[in-house]
Amino acid sequence: MTFEDLVGGDDLTPEEEARLRRVHDLLVQAGPPPELPLGLERPGAAPEGAEVLQFPLRRRWAVTALAAAAGVAAAFGIGFLVGHAKTKPETFAAQRVVPMHGSKAGQLAVLRIAARDAVGNWPMQIEVRGLPQQKARNADYELWLTKNGRPVVSCGSFRVHADVTSVRLSVPYHFSEYDGWVVTAQSHGESTPGPVVLTT
Amino acid sequence: MAVALRTIARVESDGDLIVRAAAGDGSAFEDLYRRYSRAVFGLALRRLGDRGKAEEAVQETFASVWRSAGSYKPERGPGGPWLYAVARHAIVDRARRRGEQPVDSYEEQADAEPGPADRAESGWVAWRVHRALEELPAREREVVSLAYWSGLSQSEVAEFLGIPLGTVKTRTRAALQRLADLLEGELE
Repeated sequence: MTFEDLVGGDDLTPEEEARLRRVHDLLVQAGPPPELPLGLERPGAAPEGAEVLQFPLRRRWAVTALAAAAGVAAAFGIGFLVGHAKTKPETFAAQRVVPMHGSKAGQLAVLRIAARDAVGNWPMQIEVRGLPQQKARNADYELWLTKNGRPVVSCGSFRVHADVTSVRLSVPYHFSEYDGWVVTAQSHGESTPGPVVLTT
Repeated sequence: MAVALRTIARVESDGDLIVRAAAGDGSAFEDLYRRYSRAVFGLALRRLGDRGKAEEAVQETFASVWRSAGSYKPERGPGGPWLYAVARHAIVDRARRRGEQPVDSYEEQADAEPGPADRAESGWVAWRVHRALEELPAREREVVSLAYWSGLSQSEVAEFLGIPLGTVKTRTRAALQRLADLLEGELE
């Protein structure tokens, strides 16, 4: 549509018409702004390609209860991010790197933790190698913080689709309250940590 | 017009927000993110040509803003161009670290058409316009989006929104006047 179609102009002064016409031209030149992906609606959220899923209600309750039992006051308002396989690791501004290893040869992971964001979340990226791909659609792996060596707080779940899987997660916890990390293999409906497959 | 100017006067400047973010003010950082995330995403999409990469570039840009806000000097100029420079650097740097050629890098494709100056100009124009659109009232932004980029006629926009045609024209004009105020002096 032309400027005249959109704005008219019969009642505008020449100066005002020129001013609005300039804006009209800029809008045409700029084109439409892109729609923000869901993951960018707030700072520090998940990247596109990560599927944002909520735990089933009963499982969220279970995790919350587990956290409460561990004396964790952290809010569980954040969504748990279930990332699906990335084919290659992404650049990530890590401030802390935590190596993890598995019970079988060739199974290892690197957990990278970036600076805490403005609202108190810690962006994390876990790159997992050598874990078997889940055959069952409802099975996944879960990253936990441990206390006295036992997994007590979930940091998110993910599935493995390739030999190397890189997933971004975000948690609001105070890491000083915990003593390590583990990855467990979870079956559908499990509310408690499954078998440990990777540990620090 | 007077209403629009009063509205602008109430809004904290980008520079003020950057200074507050440098002091660790998370709400200022969130305000910057709200104002600029779409503009950064648009710039990254234009430069990198891939939504996934652009999304990661947005995250890296704002991480860089948070880390380097202390380097912003208000006496050297307004915050918008500083943010643009940070975003552009983060996007190009990201592409270089990954050994990729930015799709639309005026620094690296100087012989491409349109020329480097045009590319820089178009990126900056889109950046400023998209940023200014964020300041419009939702109903004006909606009308502008539909009128300019949906392919609908004004009558169809009116029908789509369920408002009289005259209201569409009134809102469009009001939006352009507000945008003119917001963009005045920056895109001459």
